[in-house]
Amino acid sequence: MGLQTRLLLIVALVLGSSLGAMGWSQDRSFKAAVRAATEEQLRTVAYGLLAAADEGDDGLRFAAELGEPRLNQPNSGLYAYLASSVGDTIWRSPSIVASGSRVAERSPLGQRPAPGEHVFGSAATIDGEPKRFALGYTVIWEALSTEMTIWVLADQTPYREQITEFRRDLAVALLLAAAAFMVVQLIAVRWGLRPIRHMVSRLHGLEAGTRNDIGDDYPRELAALARNLNRFIASEKANRERHRNAMDDLAHSLKTPLAVLKNALRELDKKQSQLFDEQLTRMESTVAHQLSRAAAVRPTIATHRIALLPAALRIANALERAYAEKAMAVKPVDEAAAEAFVKVDERDLMEMLGNLIENAFKYGRSQVRLSTSVSLSDNRSAPATAMLLVEDDGPGIAPDKRDLVLKRGERADLETSGQGIGLAVVVELAAFYEGRLAIGESELGGAAVRLSLPAAEGG
Amino acid sequence: MRLLIVEDEMLLAAQIDKFLRDHDFVVDVASDGEEGLYHLREGGYDAALIDLGLPKLDGIGLIKTMRREQNATPVLILTARGDWRDKVAGLEAGADDYLAKPFHMEELLARLNALMRRSAGYASAVIECGPLRLDTSRKELRVEGAPVELTSFEYRVLEYLAMNPSRVVSKTELTSHIYEQDFDRDSNVIEVFIGRLRKKLDPRGTLRPIRTVRGQGYRFVVEPAPV
Repeated sequence: MGLQTRLLLIVALVLGSSLGAMGWSQDRSFKAAVRAATEEQLRTVAYGLLAAADEGDDGLRFAAELGEPRLNQPNSGLYAYLASSVGDTIWRSPSIVASGSRVAERSPLGQRPAPGEHVFGSAATIDGEPKRFALGYTVIWEALSTEMTIWVLADQTPYREQITEFRRDLAVALLLAAAAFMVVQLIAVRWGLRPIRHMVSRLHGLEAGTRNDIGDDYPRELAALARNLNRFIASEKANRERHRNAMDDLAHSLKTPLAVLKNALRELDKKQSQLFDEQLTRMESTVAHQLSRAAAVRPTIATHRIALLPAALRIANALERAYAEKAMAVKPVDEAAAEAFVKVDERDLMEMLGNLIENAFKYGRSQVRLSTSVSLSDNRSAPATAMLLVEDDGPGIAPDKRDLVLKRGERADLETSGQGIGLAVVVELAAFYEGRLAIGESELGGAAVRLSLPAAEGG
Repeated sequence: MRLLIVEDEMLLAAQIDKFLRDHDFVVDVASDGEEGLYHLREGGYDAALIDLGLPKLDGIGLIKTMRREQNATPVLILTARGDWRDKVAGLEAGADDYLAKPFHMEELLARLNALMRRSAGYASAVIECGPLRLDTSRKELRVEGAPVELTSFEYRVLEYLAMNPSRVVSKTELTSHIYEQDFDRDSNVIEVFIGRLRKKLDPRGTLRPIRTVRGQGYRFVVEPAPV
């Protein structure tokens, strides 16, 4: 899981639970407030009723038309009745009578408040009628020396509607807030992680060979890492160069004395010189072969991405100068839909291409064909392969000698110095990069040598 | 033919020097890039053999500089590093061929001859001109198929003229390409060589391959003269 996903996931979890808790408590307190308001409203109705009541001979009398209009209308949702201390209904509001409700038939809260007290709660439900709140208030009517309880009931529907509406508004507000938070958080996370993204893109650049370091413009937390990485990259590169230069210098300091010795042999008599010449030739081929092998250093981090065909053409153009007499026709063929790139150190690539193309110039009669192609692997984890096919119209390499040429260090033709050792170096280097060399016959008539190397992403 | 060797390994330079002198070349040796450049600026070389790893001014720098100065002397580079980057860089800088150390002297000779022939515009080692057949790799002359004995100096004169066809070559130029610098330059000697050569090349006087351009020098004419 990516860093950005992780951070956003945590933020979403925290935000979700805190906004949820907030919504829940808001909802609770709103419900309580609405309930309290309803209780207050019902109490006012009860007091109003009692205040408007007249004493009659047989108890209290109420006006036909009550002060609270809803108590007069059928199904208005507001009902009141008066119960005696033993539970008989003494009086019903017109709204009960007109609606034919059975609301007054039993105690709504299962309890009767003590005199001077009042009770409030959800009334016991009556089949076929809406849920209601009930408020009971017990009075001792001194003039009648009797104890009575007045019950006021109100439908819960408006209360529920109010709650629903509130919840809807609350949900909208909370969702908007959550969305705004997430956007801000996303921006914050992206901004916060930007240096890391920079570092990653520079590392890609490093791999692609478009950069030499990952830069140093990082925030404090990453600066030390970047500094160390840069130092590591630089030292790796420097080590590689130093190693290679050491190998080159070694080659130089061995080959010049070898050249001097070989030339000095001319002064000796034939019998003696033959032995020296053989041994010197052996040393020469060992130096050339082993040193070129030792000089190959596969880079650990900074892998260069080199376009194969242009590199091959560069060498072919240089060789056209050296082989001007042959007037070789060099034909480049780019078979790949996209240009073929390889992930190989430049020196090593030049070494491989140089030896291959030089052979084609050396043995070809009039033309050299260079074609590149890229083959994707079936398996996604394995890298694609970039191939260079070098063909000439020379005598070719006999099928029974091909294996020998491909075997490391062996020379197919000891007489023609160069070919065997050149190809052996190529085989060696190609194997080092997990590539390979194959020899076949070209339709031009000569050798067709195919070099396969791991491809780098194009672009 | 006059050659310049630019090589800092004195022993190797001395060996090459001796070998090439034995093969009728006039040779100058420079031991670093700056000295090599000085000699090249003096001019008059038919080819230069340049080692890539030189002190003061390296081989690539030397070749780039001389090419920038419009010096077209054919250049054979010697490389000990055996690194293709060096070879390609050398050729791109303007060298004409390369030879990796250690090498056989015979190969060096063949490459140098090929370079000089190429710059003279000949595709093959054998220069043919009517009945004349000059084999520059064997240093051998045949007239109408019969071998003709030439002294070393006669051969040098003929080869130089043949390598600079259809161009007037002055006596001074000819002298500098067949003699060491400190050699007594007596133009009469050249005239004697030319006279002997003409007799050997063209005993009947019908071909006239070496023309005298009065007051200027000699010219080698490749096409057979109209009879």
